[in-house]
Amino acid sequence: MTDLFQYTPGTSPLHRMNPITKIVLTLAVCAAAFLTDNLFVLLFLLLFDLMIGVVGRVERKAFSIFKGLFKVSLFLFVLQALFVRRGNRLFWIVTDEGLLTAAAVVLRLLVVCLPLALVLAVTQVSDIAGALVQVLHVPYAYAFTLTTAIRFIPQFMEEMSGIMEAQTARGVEFDSKNFLKKLGMLLPLCAPLLISSVRRTQATATAAEVRGFALRTSRSGYRQYRFGAVDFMGFLVSAALVAGAVLIP
Amino acid sequence: MIRAESVSYSYSGGGQTVSDLTFHIQKGEFVALIGENGAGKTTTVKLIDGLLRPTSGRMLVNGMDTVKSKVSERARQVGFLFQNPDRQICKNTVRDEIAFGLRAVWGRGEAAKIDERVKELLDLFSFRGDEEPFSLSRGQRQQVALASTLAVKPAVLILDEPTTGLDYRECTKIMEFIRNLNETEGTTVVMVCHDMEVVLDYARRALVMAGGRLLADGPVREIFRDADLMARASLLPPQIIQLSGRLGGRYALADDAETLAELIAEGDRRGTV
Repeated sequence: MTDLFQYTPGTSPLHRMNPITKIVLTLAVCAAAFLTDNLFVLLFLLLFDLMIGVVGRVERKAFSIFKGLFKVSLFLFVLQALFVRRGNRLFWIVTDEGLLTAAAVVLRLLVVCLPLALVLAVTQVSDIAGALVQVLHVPYAYAFTLTTAIRFIPQFMEEMSGIMEAQTARGVEFDSKNFLKKLGMLLPLCAPLLISSVRRTQATATAAEVRGFALRTSRSGYRQYRFGAVDFMGFLVSAALVAGAVLIP
Repeated sequence: MIRAESVSYSYSGGGQTVSDLTFHIQKGEFVALIGENGAGKTTTVKLIDGLLRPTSGRMLVNGMDTVKSKVSERARQVGFLFQNPDRQICKNTVRDEIAFGLRAVWGRGEAAKIDERVKELLDLFSFRGDEEPFSLSRGQRQQVALASTLAVKPAVLILDEPTTGLDYRECTKIMEFIRNLNETEGTTVVMVCHDMEVVLDYARRALVMAGGRLLADGPVREIFRDADLMARASLLPPQIIQLSGRLGGRYALADDAETLAELIAEGDRRGTV
């Protein structure tokens, strides 16, 4: 789980693509997923996601995200199927429209979640920030907030498992199977997690300050983010995805 | 008390591994695990407490296989002091913090007994019970963590780098306390430590690790005297042992000395006989 948001080094076309193009492509996939209600289009988008994973050589990660989302998807599916009351009754209280809506919701969830994680798998976070600042002239402070948030996730998870380990060793029954019992035990852990995060944030702020954080502008970066043929393709595909979602009923 | 039978472990994401560890620690021993970073020391102590389960081999604590019992149940036998006290501390007052582990292990029904034990520990460490642990200094937080670990009177105490980030006085206070516990209560102590002076002063036996393997196991002084072994484990022996080794001759024999004056006096005495 902890390496879910981590960069996988590589030289695939996706790795070489401009970070901005990748963000645009991601947004296009998300937009397309929300613009369409057609199950086939959603399925196609899902296949497209997987293809991106294969091209970027991060198909393993894509698969593990699928696995991670499986339980949530199942829960969502059942919930939707039970609560949508329109359409013809198929069996018990489940209707045909309920099933279709449920399928669409689950597909949409998968379609949207995958590219966001995949972008992080094929792009270094510092490159995302660099490109945002240089190409789109986003103020560095905002770009920095984004990258820090992403960078802190694995650290946060590591800290949490460290704390849970320490508490288990003290006799708190995290190794018990009872889910509700575990949930109750998690609450006291929020204190150490919060305190360590605040400490870390303060340390990061100080470190950034002494290294001239406030002075950074769009011209400070060493790396140049240029657009090439791959990016042109990327923009075309993005436009095609959105157009397809709108045009296909 | 602790018996490792060709225990191996590898992290699922790759990373460091330990392989084929075999050792036996008797009740009442004071053992130091030494070796460079990444040698597998922390992994080994986590295996002892069952936080990690061996991929092959068996780890027995008090005759029980760590795989067959829960870590939280073992907490009444094995106390674990982590490197970072902030992962352990989770209550707003020192008093609650010490009581927290007791409640988890003894159960809430034992309120009177818990109160008594907490008071005992507050006195022992001269803490103020109402103080907020997070506003204390690093050294004091370490002591709070130690106090709450000791509260349940574990038969085995595992210390993962107990003296990092402490000044000399704090370090001595904590280590003296642990030595006292080891000598009077017969608590078995297993300590991971990078400070060879501390190891020499307090531990009696040392396990040397490198690259996930056990290189040597023996009395601390014998281990430190073995220059070849120290080099293989990338360790520097304590100064006094280095000195007696370099002086050589009659001083080389005198490295049981604990201070420089003793070393010289002992060497001189041998020289005159």
